[in-house]
Amino acid sequence: MIYGKIWLVVKPSVGVPLLLSAVAVSSFAVHYALLTHTTWLPKYYEGGAKAQKAAALPSEQAATLALVEQPSAKP
Amino acid sequence: MADPNKVWPTGLTEAESEEVHRHIIQGTQIFGMIAALAHLLAYIYSPWLK
Repeated sequence: MIYGKIWLVVKPSVGVPLLLSAVAVSSFAVHYALLTHTTWLPKYYEGGAKAQKAAALPSEQAATLALVEQPSAKP
Repeated sequence: MADPNKVWPTGLTEAESEEVHRHIIQGTQIFGMIAALAHLLAYIYSPWLK
């Protein structure tokens, strides 16, 4: 296997925790950078977008209906 | 690297080193698959960028 001999010169007790912590730190860093530098990930983590959209739709419809039904709103 | 029974400074032989590496590669593959699946499920159930 390629690079299989690395453990002849790097102690697994040092190399394995180093590898795992590098994975953990880089994974956290990528998600944190996306969280602080984009608008869509905070919204995604906040959640409830579907519920908000669903709640907003009937009210918009009601407002439109009110406008249509009001005779004074017509030109 | 001529002697396969030579014990290197880390205390491992070539065969042992290869064995450790096989497990690490397998662990990485399983981690990758679980991560891909987790991202896929997160996207399916609550898609971002929409």
